[in-house]
Amino acid sequence: MMKDVIVIGGGAGGLAAAIETHQSRKDVLLIERETFLGGILNQCIHNGFGLEVFKEEYTGPEYADQFIETFLEEKIDYLLDTTVIGLRKENDVFFVKTSSEKDGIRFFQAKAVVVSTGSYERTRGQISIPGDRPYGVITAGSAQRYLNIDGLLIGKKVFVLGSGDIGLIMARRMKLEGAEVLGVAEIMPHSNGLTRNIVQCLNDFDIPLYLSHTVTEIIGDDENRLSKIKVSKVDESFKPIEGTEKEFEVDTLLLSIGLIPDVTLLDELKVEIDSRTKSVKVNQAYETNIEGLFVCGNALQVHDLVDNVTLESKRAGQAVNRYLDKGKADVHQSIYLNPGNNLGYVTPQRIDMDIIQDYITLSFRSNKKMEKAICKVFQNEDIIFEKKLVFVLPAEMETIKLPFEKINEVGDIRVELEVRS
Amino acid sequence: MYDFIIIGAGVIGSSVARELSKYQAKTLCLEKENDVANVQSLANSAIIHAGHNPEPGSLKAVLSVLGNKLYDTWEKELSIPLLRTGAFVAAHNEKEEIIIENLLKTTIENMVPEYEVLTGDEAREIEPNLAKSITKVLSLPTTKVTYPWEVAFACMENAINNGVEFQKNKQVTSIKKVNGFFEIEVNKEEIYQTKYVINAAGVASDDIGQMIEEPPFKIKPRKGEYFVLDRRVKGFVNHVLYPLPSEKGKGVLVTPQVHGNILLGPSSEFIDDKFEASTTDEGLKYIKEHSVELAENIPFNMIIRSFAGIRSTSTCDDFYIKESKTNKGFYYLGGIESPGLTAAPAIGPYLVNEIIGVGNEFELKSDFNPRREPRLEFHRLPWRKQQALLDEDHLYGRIICKCEKITEKEIIDAIHGPLGSHSIKGIKKRVRAGAGLCQGGYCEEKIMKIIARELNISPLDVEYDDPQSKIFKEETKVDE
Repeated sequence: MMKDVIVIGGGAGGLAAAIETHQSRKDVLLIERETFLGGILNQCIHNGFGLEVFKEEYTGPEYADQFIETFLEEKIDYLLDTTVIGLRKENDVFFVKTSSEKDGIRFFQAKAVVVSTGSYERTRGQISIPGDRPYGVITAGSAQRYLNIDGLLIGKKVFVLGSGDIGLIMARRMKLEGAEVLGVAEIMPHSNGLTRNIVQCLNDFDIPLYLSHTVTEIIGDDENRLSKIKVSKVDESFKPIEGTEKEFEVDTLLLSIGLIPDVTLLDELKVEIDSRTKSVKVNQAYETNIEGLFVCGNALQVHDLVDNVTLESKRAGQAVNRYLDKGKADVHQSIYLNPGNNLGYVTPQRIDMDIIQDYITLSFRSNKKMEKAICKVFQNEDIIFEKKLVFVLPAEMETIKLPFEKINEVGDIRVELEVRS
Repeated sequence: MYDFIIIGAGVIGSSVARELSKYQAKTLCLEKENDVANVQSLANSAIIHAGHNPEPGSLKAVLSVLGNKLYDTWEKELSIPLLRTGAFVAAHNEKEEIIIENLLKTTIENMVPEYEVLTGDEAREIEPNLAKSITKVLSLPTTKVTYPWEVAFACMENAINNGVEFQKNKQVTSIKKVNGFFEIEVNKEEIYQTKYVINAAGVASDDIGQMIEEPPFKIKPRKGEYFVLDRRVKGFVNHVLYPLPSEKGKGVLVTPQVHGNILLGPSSEFIDDKFEASTTDEGLKYIKEHSVELAENIPFNMIIRSFAGIRSTSTCDDFYIKESKTNKGFYYLGGIESPGLTAAPAIGPYLVNEIIGVGNEFELKSDFNPRREPRLEFHRLPWRKQQALLDEDHLYGRIICKCEKITEKEIIDAIHGPLGSHSIKGIKKRVRAGAGLCQGGYCEEKIMKIIARELNISPLDVEYDDPQSKIFKEETKVDE
């Protein structure tokens, strides 16, 4: 059974990419591991979604419904409760191995694959917080799923480590559910969440935010439940400062310490990895170094707003259409993009000059807070494009449109941020 | 009235239970934890040492060299996973090379069957990521790695299958000798009578002894901390890498694991509280600083977990495997720290045959079944076998733990198996669901629901580890 395109993941990214390709009359199959479409949006019952795409404010499930409705109307093929357990490419054909209760193990073939498998949460183990290993230390997203999908409250005295958006949202959510939320600690001197979430989730609920603070020890009780945490102020090199230690008696520590793109499915393929985004490197068409393999959404780079996932995945869908219609691009010249001063990363990592577009959407994050910034795009040490930005924050992904005509045929590109003089 | 009561179901208690199950004796094993292998056996390096290090002639030397060999039998009979890694003990300069020469003498005296001294360059040809500063290594091909939880499960399952009783959540609270028998009080409420007591209580073995007499040793527990690297680092090193041993023990090692992960550690520090297995900032730093002396380019960015384990170091230098001098019929298995896991297959027979002489009083069972079927790892099976199993049960098709590819059926079997567990941690120990990259972020909720469904209990009653450790505080949406 040969499909034009298989989309892996039925969240915001997968739905947008599948709809885009199907509307261009492609034979599409979408595969989702959960028993429902919409992905993580289903557990995001707060509002604030859709301002960019719909100019209206929706909750997560409402936002998902907009796309699920279209997806179902389009009568796109899809499988639920089905996990992709292998992905290979042989002689220009992708083999997608799936496993499900209903159909057992199956193989599907496709000319192109879109990986929109989202991200996973960084855990305590990855940042090695010392102490006991009791229950009650849990990633914010897992606690959110327990609360909003299953109706189960993980704890009643809560502290949050990390000021990522999910942590901020969950601080408010647990407070509304009757839990005591004692504070949020952020190791950086600035918040990692959107400004609106700091205001609406913390300030409005009198939850203190401790900037330049981190959890230095986790202590469990005799019943193997979290009972206490120690929190310290940190210096510029993020080392705890002696004498600044505070103790909080809590039964729950929510971790909101970052998301990591989930591209483990690509382990079997030789895909180039960007150590900065911890995902794959792509060109302006969201295509990896493996022809016909596209990655978008949080699997490519962690987004703050689902609207950006939708827009990016739509562009990825259009790129898949172009690939299927025109066959493989005869790439003669590639230009590589690198982050320069004050930039955490930049995507795409490569521009293939034979894939001509009006403009190229560059996405990046600053690595510090800057007011009145300017983004400069250098090629061969010449500035080929610049754009003023009112305000940049590491917590907010920026996108700029780089006109294709400005790009020279030869020479790598460097993107920098600086304060306007 | 029991013939034997074993106190403690770690790797050692379980191996003794299995050895006793060969005899027509009534045997009970009591464990204070909610699972076998939950204290010392829970958290260690998983190495089956060659036997190059212990003092020649000591029990540690004799039983570890023998134990290493017996693991090959256990692999066949009990389906215990083994990874035949071999090991390199590394020297960095002339002074350390002299210590290698001394270790070589010990190795020969301990009758380790295979060994070889290699130059640094020869070793690096085999193990390219070996640190460039290493000048000489003692190569020990018989060193291997196992999966300690599975060792305990296999022994205890096989023991149960051959008639041994096992009870968890049973803490021994007092021991009395009455009319030549022992009365063992459990959880301050029940009393069991037995002819013989085997004290395999690990870090608590001196406390158990204290219930009846002044014990012949004291446990001075040591803590070792570790980092776990994700299994995608598989192949980074293929040998167990040891530094030279010091008075603090074997030092910080780099150890490949059966499932592809790599362990870095342990640190080593004496502790006061026997059950205080917490990690520390200093301990974790110590591991990072010292592991780089063994290997280049360690992928620290692949760390997925850190943990600490407790070792029951005692005031005796050697294992203490003897009958009590004052209370005949009371047997000690004391100070069984490293190489205890290695020696486990030899400790059971040594205690049962040499020390107790069980054969003098009890007949061997004619129907003893030495075999224990392997735990099924669905995603590692060949295609045909997978298809046959899927025809039998569709739940082999539903993946619950995405990182380790564990299916719903495997989890259900872990709940209801002969040594089933009803806790999140117990399921992880049995099938590795939650042991991968996302550390249960995706699958814990699903496992919780499967446990609740299979036991027909509320999610509020699902345990994380021991029976008191509930996951949730309350239900927020209650059906009208």
